[in-house]
Amino acid sequence: MSATLAAPAAALPPLRRRLDPMALLALPGVAFLSVVFLLPLLLLLWSSIRGEGGFTVNGYVRVLGDAYYIGVIGNSLQLGLITTAGAFILGYPAAFALARARGYAQVVLFALVFLPLTVSIIVKSFGWGIVLRRDGILNWLMLNVGLIERPVRMIFTEGALYAGMINVFLPFMVLPIYSVVRMIDPRYGDAAATLGASPWYRFTRVTLPLTLPGVVAGASLVFSLAVAAYVTPSLLMGDRYMTMSMVMAKAFLNLRDWQLGGAMAAVLLAVAAMVVVGASLMQRRLARHGGAA
Amino acid sequence: MTMDRLGTGIAWTALILVIAFLLLPIVVVIPVSFTESTVFRFPPEGFSLQWYGRIRNVDGLLGALWLSAQIAALSTATSLLLGTLCAIALVRGLVPGAAAITTFMVSPLMLPGLVLGIALLQTMREVGLRDAWWSLYLAHVVITLPFVMRTVLASLSLFDFAMVDAARTLGCSYPKALWRVLVPNILPGFISGALFAFIASFDNYPVSMFLVDVRTKTLPIQLLNYLEISPDPTLAAVSTVLIGLTVIVLILCDRLVGLRRMASI
Amino acid sequence: MTALGAPAPAAQAGASSAGHLVVTGTSKRFGAAVVLEDLSLSVAKGEFVSLLGPSGCGKTTLLRCIAGLLRPDAGRITVAGQDITALPAHRRNVGVVFQNYALFPHLTVAENIGFGLRAQGVSRAEAAPRVAEALALVRMGEHADKPVTSLSGGQQQRVAVARALVVRPSLLLLDEPFSALDRKLRETMQVELKHLLREVGITAIFVTHDQEEALVVSDRIAVMNSGRIEQLADPATLYGRPVSLYVLDFVGQSTRLAGRIVAVEDGVVTVETSLGPVRAPGRFAPGSRVAVAVRPEAVTLGEGVAGANRVSARVSEISFLGSRTQLHLDLPAEGEDRGVVELPRLPEGVQPGSRVTLAFREADTMVFPA
Repeated sequence: MSATLAAPAAALPPLRRRLDPMALLALPGVAFLSVVFLLPLLLLLWSSIRGEGGFTVNGYVRVLGDAYYIGVIGNSLQLGLITTAGAFILGYPAAFALARARGYAQVVLFALVFLPLTVSIIVKSFGWGIVLRRDGILNWLMLNVGLIERPVRMIFTEGALYAGMINVFLPFMVLPIYSVVRMIDPRYGDAAATLGASPWYRFTRVTLPLTLPGVVAGASLVFSLAVAAYVTPSLLMGDRYMTMSMVMAKAFLNLRDWQLGGAMAAVLLAVAAMVVVGASLMQRRLARHGGAA
Repeated sequence: MTMDRLGTGIAWTALILVIAFLLLPIVVVIPVSFTESTVFRFPPEGFSLQWYGRIRNVDGLLGALWLSAQIAALSTATSLLLGTLCAIALVRGLVPGAAAITTFMVSPLMLPGLVLGIALLQTMREVGLRDAWWSLYLAHVVITLPFVMRTVLASLSLFDFAMVDAARTLGCSYPKALWRVLVPNILPGFISGALFAFIASFDNYPVSMFLVDVRTKTLPIQLLNYLEISPDPTLAAVSTVLIGLTVIVLILCDRLVGLRRMASI
Repeated sequence: MTALGAPAPAAQAGASSAGHLVVTGTSKRFGAAVVLEDLSLSVAKGEFVSLLGPSGCGKTTLLRCIAGLLRPDAGRITVAGQDITALPAHRRNVGVVFQNYALFPHLTVAENIGFGLRAQGVSRAEAAPRVAEALALVRMGEHADKPVTSLSGGQQQRVAVARALVVRPSLLLLDEPFSALDRKLRETMQVELKHLLREVGITAIFVTHDQEEALVVSDRIAVMNSGRIEQLADPATLYGRPVSLYVLDFVGQSTRLAGRIVAVEDGVVTVETSLGPVRAPGRFAPGSRVAVAVRPEAVTLGEGVAGANRVSARVSEISFLGSRTQLHLDLPAEGEDRGVVELPRLPEGVQPGSRVTLAFREADTMVFPA
């Protein structure tokens, strides 16, 4: 009944077809971002290739030709990869439980996953330090359980860094997967079961492929955040584990070496852009192959 | 059946572990803030509120809190205005290249914060804008705008504008129809966008660190400075206060729009 | 077409040892809600049975129990003599066509159809001809490599049927298979599907809330009411001899009048209704409260045959339905009385407000305890 009422209304042409005054509403925002975001970005890229006597690729030569800086880039990528992998291994099954929880339990569980996102990264890194200190909670726990006899040094180790990074970025993996899992019709699993598919086959051939869009979204988000992270690595590791962000900060704030900082920023930007483009290409392929995205 | 139950078991174990892991560094801060000793030894020794009392005495902490609140509130408000106008234009108007503009408007989200900070620092120097407050404000509008754009765009595109027509046939004027039908429907998107924007601004470190000066420091910068200079349980006290505020805001938001509706980050 | 074998109108569901699918004493509860209550059902090989009832009557729960997607709290389910009660869904070899089909969106048409074969370990090479055969069976050959999301509703249904049939299930379950289709397409697909399944020779259980659909596709229909089977019978019996007011109302329309038994003689009762006395075959104690009912097409206007029941009523509304015309009768608003009469054509002069005489044979009149 309602469909017959709505159909002619939907078939009517939109009221405005001529030069649309409503389009002008977009102008202030677009203009603002052009001046305060796009322009500075272009200027930064420009400064990375601007030398004493005009155009130079000196900055890039210094970054990409130096084993130290290559190592720094490697560190960042490694940190990004390990953080992403760790967040995926923990976050993927957790997102399932979160999506399948019902009623009040789901609200509470969701809030508990969501809360850490809203707590300052400084507070979290500070707390993580307390956990890992020689006289911190983890050593205290392990001593009391009898796992160790003397406190173990954990802070300023790579393990601590990875744990801290996963801790900070894990919700960015859980939430996109959660929202995809929630959308999956549980009857897909039922249908596969009635066709004789074992639980493992169901998971690998139906559930996993259908959740891939969420995994791609979560992984690209976590990777691009982790690769550019600054606060957590500098608090948990300091200079012992230099990342691209730390080199950039140093170049601009301490060394006043704009060419170096600009070139490093450009490399980081390129990595971020590759992740974004790669992720959107994968999403498009997934979407083309099915309607799941 | 048993395999199914195994999978369910793994999923639930993972969720419990994840939540415990996520909450661990947040929860440990609280007992440490009530300790009597000057170090963060665990378990904490004694009970005292001295570190809360010291918050007032730490140089620049309250000023930084006030500055961060100011910047976050003003930049969020600005973003709500610019972002909502832009979202309306993109959803309702005939904007040439609407898809490209949408991508552009949310792209600061994908940009490493440090790169944005450096780019802004450089440009502000070049333009001659040396005022830290204004630099921070402009930069934070860039930070907050994508959050507002995303959520408002999402709720606007889910909104069935036939409802506005329905309200008009039922005797509402156009503005009244918008107010009575459109606004209540996109309010959740509005609130969650604003919350995310506020948090993103309030908690921002990598952009702000390039734009602050000696007298104008945001809270995260001030906290990290303090942590590096004199790490003592005062920081735990400040952190506990911040966590408390966050929980209150989250509960308010849950009452207003429901947390799960805000999950689509 | 195979003879529309209507097995003897088994009055109630009874577990017969000859059945291909036998459900015995099955119960299922969710929390405090009893969804299936000691339910038994026997379906012969090659038979089409519909589970008909309103939402919440337990029909989908029964289907999911048979498919192995739910574990009943009590009872036994056997297929071809083998007890499958404890088997998980993927070891039952029971095909299911789901409501809205549940086609895998990340797979093509052919991949969807081949899914079950591959899942059961059939090699790609062996599966291919069987998939092609199934595609041909449902006339979807040219769509093999399309994503299922690009198909129309009718095409999706064909794929869902082919996907369920290709693994040669011992039993096919269909959960509201036509609910996603529009009316015209639904009617075509009902006949097409019935014909296809008959050709394959499979035993099929349809779950539906649409009585017309049940009448079209089934050999027998089980009308379900709050977790029990109220009546299991062939369509003609169900329509002509419903065992209760519930079945009467759920299948087809009727004129229905509440009343009280005023006379009993030799297997015929006389019921005093708001339109006067009505006689019907039945055995009730004098004074008991009952309802009499008659199907719309059993009623004629005028005097009718000798000895027919005759009542007089006012016409409230006239609906022209094309091949026939429906008269709605003006009855007292309180109570559950209602009157519907269907005539091949409308007599001259009858219009809303006219007073007419209705005649219907005593043998066509049914009495139910109220």
